[in-house]
Amino acid sequence: MADIEELASRIAEKLPELSRHPNPVKGYLTLKLEDAAKLPQAAAALKALGFDYLEMISATDWLGAVKPEGYIRNPNPIVFLPEGATPQSVPSATPGFPYRPSFELLWAFADLAAKAWVFLKCEVSREAASVPSLSGLYKGADWQERELFDLMGIRFEGHPNLAKILTPDFLVGHPLRKDYVHVKDRFDE
Amino acid sequence: MGIILEKLPGVTKGLPGGELLLTTADAFIDFGRKMSLWPMTFGLACCAIEMMGSYASRFDFDRMGVIPRPSPRQADVMIVAGTVCKKMAEPILEIYHQMPEPRFVISMGSCANCGGPYYDSYSVLKGVDRIVPVDVYVAGCPPRPEALQFAVLKLQDKIAGMRAIERGAGATLQQERGSRDVLSAVPNDEPLPKPASGPRLELR
Repeated sequence: MADIEELASRIAEKLPELSRHPNPVKGYLTLKLEDAAKLPQAAAALKALGFDYLEMISATDWLGAVKPEGYIRNPNPIVFLPEGATPQSVPSATPGFPYRPSFELLWAFADLAAKAWVFLKCEVSREAASVPSLSGLYKGADWQERELFDLMGIRFEGHPNLAKILTPDFLVGHPLRKDYVHVKDRFDE
Repeated sequence: MGIILEKLPGVTKGLPGGELLLTTADAFIDFGRKMSLWPMTFGLACCAIEMMGSYASRFDFDRMGVIPRPSPRQADVMIVAGTVCKKMAEPILEIYHQMPEPRFVISMGSCANCGGPYYDSYSVLKGVDRIVPVDVYVAGCPPRPEALQFAVLKLQDKIAGMRAIERGAGATLQQERGSRDVLSAVPNDEPLPKPASGPRLELR
């Protein structure tokens, strides 16, 4: 594996706007992307540096309290709504505790020849969650972005076919969002 | 001949000389059906691994006449081995309707029986019996191959009592369209017509 500091300085020459993320992925070089709109430029620069393989895209829904003491202890609201009902957001904020209504996206770029990995983290707001698509740069991004759209409801601008990929057509909503409430379908009781 | 006479003492009768065997048509048809139960090759989750173990030489399903078939057109029994997702429910119903009658369903494992550990999931069907009629349920997560083989023995017992000619051949409407019609707007509580009684074959 390439030396992380050497790799970081090499990337910092090309991409000075990226800073080291305070919460890195294991021992890997993890960079923080402040503005999601800069993602295509950053990815193109990384690709020019040899990171030509997009290993994965991942997202975390951080909705809720930042500290464990802030978690709501109320009983879970009804899991199933009657058929045709509109899904409602459940209240997730406990007053007086810091609150983080955001998605954290993670891209893993690999340089397989040099056995080097770079992780890119970017935080976007839960409302109107939208980031640029990388499917033009990396073909492997296509289905990964569709999966994130399907399960998390993150829109990837510029994706050629942003459609559901895993859940059935009749499923309403994005199931891996923390405020997902299931709407009864024809297979439920 | 000797084996058949030993196994079926109540329904067969050997004539003196041993060249002829008398039995009823029902016993003969049921015997043929139950001794060659060909399952659809079809696995959904980890239960399918146990099902494959049953087919393999250690547990040897072949000795019961259970030989997996690659096409639903050649299959008699569908072993629903694994978690039935809602997205998979319609393909399962389609496969079920592609099988020739009489067709049987074995629901293998907790997931296929009732949803199992995924009962609260948004994407899992809570039991395959919501879309197709199930003949035998096998408990377990996953069930041992012996349990699946016991289920086949139970299904053989069930088939041995079918007596198609005496009771009327052909599937009931419930068997025809599944226990719950998920593809059309037919209300579920519509009463199903009784099966038509078939011609009685007088053997004497």
